[in-house]
Amino acid sequence: MTQSGKSLRTAAAGARYLGSARLGAQEAWLMRVTSAALVPLSIGFVWLSLSLLNKDYNGVRAELGHPLPAILIALFALVACFHMHLGMRSVILDYVHGRAREWALIASACYAGGLALACVYAVLRIGFV
Amino acid sequence: MASTQTAPKPPARPLSPHLGIYRFTLTMAMSIVHRITGVGLYLGVMMLTWFLLAASLDASAFAVFSGFIQSILGRLILLGFTWALFHHLLGGIRHFIWDAGYGLDAPEREWLAQGTLIGGVVLTLIVWAIGYAIR
Repeated sequence: MTQSGKSLRTAAAGARYLGSARLGAQEAWLMRVTSAALVPLSIGFVWLSLSLLNKDYNGVRAELGHPLPAILIALFALVACFHMHLGMRSVILDYVHGRAREWALIASACYAGGLALACVYAVLRIGFV
Repeated sequence: MASTQTAPKPPARPLSPHLGIYRFTLTMAMSIVHRITGVGLYLGVMMLTWFLLAASLDASAFAVFSGFIQSILGRLILLGFTWALFHHLLGGIRHFIWDAGYGLDAPEREWLAQGTLIGGVVLTLIVWAIGYAIR
């Protein structure tokens, strides 16, 4: 492919069948980017959850009122919801067919987007209300 | 077309190998469990949302969540969520190792599968032991 100056084969012949040159790889790539982000974020989330275990209502609000825990849990929720949206998309595309697939994709996107928004709303409300 | 003529057979198309083609292996089971834990976490995030919304509303809403999560059912769901999170997390790291081009040979992929399986259970037990110790 890179030796197109020397080879008789065209650059197009070398690139053909290697996969999409446009958006085909984007979903797989986003899955990996969100996975990588979720490794430290989940560990932070478990750590924070353990620290919240003993706390009552006021204690939880005080802890989540601090910037670092608030940003950590909001970021975890956002990235996790995007990651699980992509994951459920591929599950639906594997197992659901026909018109039901379209409804399932819409329902799943609403579910993941709704949870992400609800989590961020709640964290902001704890911090500012 | 004459009515005696049979309909033409559809051409034999290539199918991807599946459960009816391959015998059951650990790596296959791990692949399925990775997906099942993913779907479990997908549903389990509702608990996190409930927790955050309850904490953002008022003490009585928080008491409802708190009562549920401390019940036997709540604890079982939380235990399942913890295990699914660690299993899926380690499974994801396993996929990163494969993406980098390592650990695809027969002995390595078996070790990785066993490591993920054992690691997920061990990390869950450690976190729950810490949880009960500091409580």
